[in-house]
Amino acid sequence: MLYELRRADLRVRFLVTCLLATFGVSYLFGGWMVALYAGFTPAGVAQTYAGAGMAMHMPPDSTVVVEHPMTMAGFAESDVHQVDLNLLVQDTHVHVPMYGVIAGVLSLVALGLVLPKGWLLGLITLLFAAPWLDFAGMWLTKLVSRDFAFVTVLGGWAMGLGYTIVAIVAIRQMWFFKKGALE
Amino acid sequence: MSWLTRTALLAAVLHITPTVILVTRPEAVTRLTPGADAFFAREVHLSDADAHRLHTAVDWSPDDGVLTFYTAKRAGSPVGAFVFVRVDTPHGPLEVAVGFDAAGAVRRVEVTKATVETKPWVLEALRAGLTDAYAGLRPGSGTAPGGARAVRANVGALPAYMAQEVDKGVARALAAYGGFYK
Repeated sequence: MLYELRRADLRVRFLVTCLLATFGVSYLFGGWMVALYAGFTPAGVAQTYAGAGMAMHMPPDSTVVVEHPMTMAGFAESDVHQVDLNLLVQDTHVHVPMYGVIAGVLSLVALGLVLPKGWLLGLITLLFAAPWLDFAGMWLTKLVSRDFAFVTVLGGWAMGLGYTIVAIVAIRQMWFFKKGALE
Repeated sequence: MSWLTRTALLAAVLHITPTVILVTRPEAVTRLTPGADAFFAREVHLSDADAHRLHTAVDWSPDDGVLTFYTAKRAGSPVGAFVFVRVDTPHGPLEVAVGFDAAGAVRRVEVTKATVETKPWVLEALRAGLTDAYAGLRPGSGTAPGGARAVRANVGALPAYMAQEVDKGVARALAAYGGFYK
């Protein structure tokens, strides 16, 4: 046991509680944002990241023009938020380091929980696997097949699950353990 | 400063806020080609050489190498064309819709998308008359879009910066329309 949050000084427990509360608010708004843009279904994620796809193979040597009628409904569909390759590169560059920091901080909190070693290793794996799944899903959806959108959905839920487990167990151990039970 | 702190700061500084729609595409279409009753998408799949030519001219390549113009008609006669151009800024993407009249001059410009962060800057630039400066521009005329120049004295630094990015979008639309629409 590296350290035990349930035995920690009141100030440390207060700090960890504030941190978890702040992350919790951030996750709630993160969920709201996902609902606004990509949605929680593989179909929504696929539409956001895979895009409409190429209508035809681009000839390498000559410019080709294709025309087709458009309706107002067609223009409205184009308002769906889409992430192209350049934006996905930028998003990955910006978000992955922050996700790593958050997973690292939650893992440090997890290390202070009284849990079997196997559970702790599993929890840390879950915390770091979630962002990997999230972005792997986006890239696979973009580059390989729309069918991989479920991986991003899985990553999002894994992120929420990891946070929920750490938050519930930490709050319970820090604030709801009877002093006598520790002796 | 530890790598952890540096990474956190970097991520915070570079964080891109989500896209917001300032004008929906159907609304933009109505404003850019008033009175039109039929629309056609004209997808120009650029060859390597043409894509390179466009990139050299305006430092830009369209998504997937495809320029999509829209032609608007009323009772079978062309009333104009328009194109949506994305500009990636360090604060997130902007989308600019540029409409041309039947004679090929810019009729109107709309900024259709910004981000949560850039929206107030874009709106300030628009309130200062940013898009008025583009009307009448013609591809190949040698006149660079001067929206930013026109509003600079009346807006803050960041709205002026966003105005430059809108200028960039209009310049791309002019180069694309002039080089590949016909």
